[in-house]
Amino acid sequence: METLIKKRIKQVKKGDQNAFAEIVDIYKDKIYQLCYRMLGNAHEAEDIAQEAFIRAYVNIHTYDMNKKFSTWLYRIATNLSIDRIRKKKPDFYLDAEVSGTDGLNMYSQVAADVSLPEDELETLELQQTIQGEILKLPDKYRTVIVLKYIDELSLNEISEILTIPVGTVKTRIHRGREALRKQLRHL
Amino acid sequence: MSCSSEYVQLLHKYLDHELTSDEEKIIKEHLHSCEACYQHFHELEKAVAFVQSTSHIEAPLNFTEGVMNSLPKEKRTVSWNR
Repeated sequence: METLIKKRIKQVKKGDQNAFAEIVDIYKDKIYQLCYRMLGNAHEAEDIAQEAFIRAYVNIHTYDMNKKFSTWLYRIATNLSIDRIRKKKPDFYLDAEVSGTDGLNMYSQVAADVSLPEDELETLELQQTIQGEILKLPDKYRTVIVLKYIDELSLNEISEILTIPVGTVKTRIHRGREALRKQLRHL
Repeated sequence: MSCSSEYVQLLHKYLDHELTSDEEKIIKEHLHSCEACYQHFHELEKAVAFVQSTSHIEAPLNFTEGVMNSLPKEKRTVSWNR
């Protein structure tokens, strides 16, 4: 896998733009998922995930071929997500009321378009609740929790992505887990 | 509430797969006798399971196409940049 990636990166560095499409295909779900869980909004997640790949392409000459490509790509996507969280207006959430709709929110708009069987609906609601609780975490805890449990990365990889010591990663994961424990224990 | 932060630390080490066999023994015995810590542990595992249950989403259709269409045009300067 890494060998294939490195081969494609060499092609991209030589100016072969099409070789980049394969790289995007391989990582798009992971990167999109990371952005979605960090931001909690499909439109923003797509925007930031695309931006991450564009930045990777534009800055490909700064990527060190001796290191793991995915770590570098995750770093770009994580930093962009955190930047977006910090810039974001706090009222721009899916469960914010849509103006002029009298209590309707974006969830109900989304849900109205498709009819779902009861248990799927419950799962969806549960997923949204959990997503909402993840979004309540301060961004430094949210980041490590998402990287560890949703993108399933090792503590060492997370440490490299965030350029912080492994000990700090552990502390943040512990605190993030404790916060989630309190938030989710009544579910 | 759990009885001591020392045990809570061990619970987290367990979740990170970092317990030594001695520590594993200590915490296992403790969990048998201490209901508060057992409850704490159960809640932590539940929270982790909930978070993991959300980990199945895919990028939207035409995502790759969207990226490829947004890339800057191929740079002619590439050859003399290196």
